[in-house]
Amino acid sequence: MIEYRGVWKQFGDDSVLSGVDLTVKEGETLVLLGPSGTGKSVLLKHAIGLLTPDRGDVIVDGISIPRATPEELKRVRRRIGYVFQNAALFDSLTIARNLALALDTEGNERPLAAVRPEVAELLRRVNLDEDVLDRYPAELSGGMRKRVGVARAIASRPRYVLYDEPTTGLDPVNAETIDGLIVELAEELGVTSIVVTHDLESAFQVGDRVALLTEGRLRACGTPEEILASEDPVVQRFMHRRFGTAAAQ
Amino acid sequence: MTAGQRVLRAPDIIGATRGGLDRVGRGALLAAAIVRILASPRRYTNAALAQAYHMGIRSLPLVLFMAAIGGALASQQTGAQFTGGLPLWVIGSVVAAGVLTELGPVLTALVLIGRLGASIAAELGTMKVTEQIDALYSIGRDPVTFLVVPRVVGGMLVVPPLVIVADAVGMVSGWIVGLVAIEGLTTADFLFGARFYFRPWVLAFSVIKAAIFGVTITFLACFIGLEGRGGAEGVGRTTTAAVVATTVAIMLLDVLLVPLLKVA
Repeated sequence: MIEYRGVWKQFGDDSVLSGVDLTVKEGETLVLLGPSGTGKSVLLKHAIGLLTPDRGDVIVDGISIPRATPEELKRVRRRIGYVFQNAALFDSLTIARNLALALDTEGNERPLAAVRPEVAELLRRVNLDEDVLDRYPAELSGGMRKRVGVARAIASRPRYVLYDEPTTGLDPVNAETIDGLIVELAEELGVTSIVVTHDLESAFQVGDRVALLTEGRLRACGTPEEILASEDPVVQRFMHRRFGTAAAQ
Repeated sequence: MTAGQRVLRAPDIIGATRGGLDRVGRGALLAAAIVRILASPRRYTNAALAQAYHMGIRSLPLVLFMAAIGGALASQQTGAQFTGGLPLWVIGSVVAAGVLTELGPVLTALVLIGRLGASIAAELGTMKVTEQIDALYSIGRDPVTFLVVPRVVGGMLVVPPLVIVADAVGMVSGWIVGLVAIEGLTTADFLFGARFYFRPWVLAFSVIKAAIFGVTITFLACFIGLEGRGGAEGVGRTTTAAVVATTVAIMLLDVLLVPLLKVA
């Protein structure tokens, strides 16, 4: 379980998170929605200790992330897969090496030849062929890079997968593939997921619950049906504008 | 500036000082992390050797070129300044002193700042702004173990042999250019002068300086690279900052290390 307890975060004079309380339950997929700059990605990064809160606490499986020792943090991070917005693949390494790096723990690395079957299996899981193994990230399309990013995130067989705008910048077909992958991984691997997105269609397709973050605060949280039925004018405006824009397009 | 303006600027000055101190603190923490990891050689030896190999191969041609030019200049300048006033064998002593204590290590360091320091800062800066450093953390890898220690150890291992080669090339080039350009200088004079000056400690000093320079260049380049922010423009700024800071550090260290030469 991932719990955010009164999380505050400020960068310089900008207050990004203003006391966020949120609990992500075991096995569910929670979608974090909200306008740009409301702290969705910032909230996500707190869960693996890439950022520490100015006030409040983030607890993963009973371990307080801001207070965790480096070793505890490493252990927690092995339980969490993180899919970065732009995939963030290591661009000086081949795809095989990118994935091999995530498979083994520090100091227990196996030769690439020994992990190659496991790496190929990871690729198959995200619907990519083995022939990309020896290519570099720059040689792949945006959609393929995102899928390799997902493969890297699930390499350590995590209990949690955090997706930071997984479909942003992708064409509708690739976006649908990634959405399908999120649902598939949640069902097959039983992982708990948090998905940060702007894409409402995607949010309602993959989310068991949807949370709306505005101005650094949690405005609403519930099932997709509850969110759509919300009478909160801010929630309505967000949903209406998004769906309205999509419909107009 | 009026008293009022000074008061208004005070928060900026305090902020800048605090930012500088924060940076020094982060540098000290990085250095402490490196020292901790050095105790477990199994974690970085292979990567450090690979780094040292690549650093050496990439830098060698330019190091040799600069060393040859340095030796040639030392020899010609000494000939031009001293001929007539001092015996010609002094040229051998001055070339040996100049090349072994200063030109070899410092010119090599300056080449490495441009060749390696800039590339390390740009690489790590790019990794920082494209979230690759965060990605390393996210898969349970420590960027200090994975990226910094191999580069720092690689730098410490590769710079001394590069400087020894540069010293040798500088001496040979000083000797050959001296024979060609300075009337009356013989090989026997040059060798007598070089031997007259040479003590094993001078070579050791050259190598110690090289190792210190190797660590300084790679450490500062890694540190400044990891502090990178702000997209492509930010990476450019990071690279420039790394080159400037490393050059200043090398020149300051060069001055500070002089007393070490007098130890033996």
